Amino acid sequence: MKNGLAALLIASSLWGYGNGVIYWAPHISHGGEHSHSKHGGHGMGETTMLHAMNLEGNSTVTLIKPDLSKEDLNLTDTALTLPKASIGGYYALVLTHRTDNQVDSAIRYLSQQGRPSKISPTKLTALPKTDLEIVPDPLHREHDHYTASKSYHFVLRLHNHALANTTIFLETRDTPVQTVTTDTDGKFTVTLPNDFKNVQIGRSENKPSEFLLTTQYREGDTLYKTALTMPYSLNPNDYWQSQKYGAGAVFIGFLGGLFLYRRSKKTGVPRG
Amino acid sequence: MDKLLTVTALRRVIQLTAFVFFVYGAMIFTTFYTGDKLTQSLPALSCAYDMKGGDFCTLIPLQHQMDHRVSSIFTQGEKVLPALMGTLITLGTVAVLILILNKAFCGWLCPLGFFQDVFTMIGTKLGLTQLGSLSREAVNKIRPIKWFIFLFLVLILPLLTGIGFLGHEWGNPYCSICPSRIMTTAMGGDMSQVYISQANWGYFTLSLIADLMFGLMVALALFVRQPFCRICPMLPMQTLFKKIGLLRLVKNGDSHCDSCGNCVKACPMDIYEIQDQAENKNITHADCTLCGRCVEFCPHDGVMNFKYGPITILSSSKESFKKRTKIDKWWKE
Ligand code: SF4
Ligand code: SF4
Ligand code: SF4
Repeated sequence: MKNGLAALLIASSLWGYGNGVIYWAPHISHGGEHSHSKHGGHGMGETTMLHAMNLEGNSTVTLIKPDLSKEDLNLTDTALTLPKASIGGYYALVLTHRTDNQVDSAIRYLSQQGRPSKISPTKLTALPKTDLEIVPDPLHREHDHYTASKSYHFVLRLHNHALANTTIFLETRDTPVQTVTTDTDGKFTVTLPNDFKNVQIGRSENKPSEFLLTTQYREGDTLYKTALTMPYSLNPNDYWQSQKYGAGAVFIGFLGGLFLYRRSKKTGVPRG
Repeated sequence: MDKLLTVTALRRVIQLTAFVFFVYGAMIFTTFYTGDKLTQSLPALSCAYDMKGGDFCTLIPLQHQMDHRVSSIFTQGEKVLPALMGTLITLGTVAVLILILNKAFCGWLCPLGFFQDVFTMIGTKLGLTQLGSLSREAVNKIRPIKWFIFLFLVLILPLLTGIGFLGHEWGNPYCSICPSRIMTTAMGGDMSQVYISQANWGYFTLSLIADLMFGLMVALALFVRQPFCRICPMLPMQTLFKKIGLLRLVKNGDSHCDSCGNCVKACPMDIYEIQDQAENKNITHADCTLCGRCVEFCPHDGVMNFKYGPITILSSSKESFKKRTKIDKWWKE
């Protein structure tokens, strides 16, 4: 009941976001905070409770672990609590919803603390997870996060083959839908919008936002839809870090060096 | 062609290759993820902030471990061994790497060392008057700075941050001022590391030092050899293990060495101690980068040597001295 209410709360706050596609959203607590696991104190605290938005009817949820082993999970209503992680690294959470002539999928990558697996995260992204899939190329690095005003690359795959010339929709809560088309190798690049409100100084003072990439493709009688959601953070260089002043300081340092050169010429001795 | 075949020429080729690997290696050899990097604990400043790099330096895990793990002994009553495990693995990796190559990580592989060398070459070719060896007094004054940086910026301040005495900005303060962070990311086309932070006084001070120091290092490198290396905290890190290094600089002075000082003049780190008389002695100094220039420029047979375990792999000689001084003259023309 409580979860149902929370889902309703999120759904109403995200009204119009995602245009009815199924996607993963982090649980928002009553205080408006994302539900995060305790974490070493750097990088993103990862969400431990999620909701499958716009989901109606049965679906399968699979958690693919950093060692590429799989675990089937059950939703309570539309809510999912992640099991405690034993292995550290990237997890892929894959939801698939099948009807007679439609396959919907929602994917989200999560990073968890734990004993490191010896398997490269490239293996996890490369692994086919569902029919139509938006794959980060690459997924951001460990302890890093998707960041506003930066560009990221992805690849679209259908049945594990690159899908060219297909429209991808990028949406965030505060920026209307933008479109991009995959190239001949199924690749595309998006720049995450700088659309944070009421920004406070300090990265940890600002909650991450969410971006959603969606697309669909019809093959024969079957319509495939997929969504990838991930959190993204604001970019300090858009707010309290100035690159202009930084370049100025480098220049002043350089001038200081040249000044020392002039002084050294008076005392300089030929080197050996 | 043969007249150009010198230790320095070979070193330049290896440095360039290493530079490509450490700055762009993730694009070809390893991957973008930190877990896939070569050693994840390199005793040279190959930067973790450079997403395209093939490996990253040991100072970043050390700072993080102090901040997040070692501090838990004091904050959460964590048992000492589990809290130190990460640090022990990092130090163990460094020990193995130093065993294999000792301080040659600096003279032969470090991307920031090579970057400074390139600027010195540019300065020479631009006709700038090169500053010879710094005075003994200046060297003695500069030497303790690297230990101070190592102890405070790499170990103590991150630990105090983890315990809760200091704000987040002191969690990895050495990385915040490290010139390799700016250099390697800029070499990959990413200028986002050149900034002044106005988040608070700590961030402001660290970002200002980083930018000023980077500009200063580039200008100084045009006429001073290895300006940043002299205060680099990697030297103390390596020094902790240098006794076990198989590769070492051995001086066998006996009657030949007349303390002519050629070796000191050739030494980019101005290590005066190498001209002192020594018999079959490991003289690899804390500041030594095992560049081999002192071996090249020693005019006497068999006085300066590079040894690997029991094997002598390079020895000073009259002939190589003559050849080397000729090339040096030609290069500086
Ligand atoms: S900033 Fe410097 S110390 Fe930190 S990871 Fe990069 S090279 Fe190492
Ligand atoms: S001393 Fe110089 S060469 Fe060695 S790690 Fe530091 S910057 Fe690199
Ligand atoms: S002592 Fe010799 S090997 Fe060491 S830095 Fe000086 S010139 Fe290079």
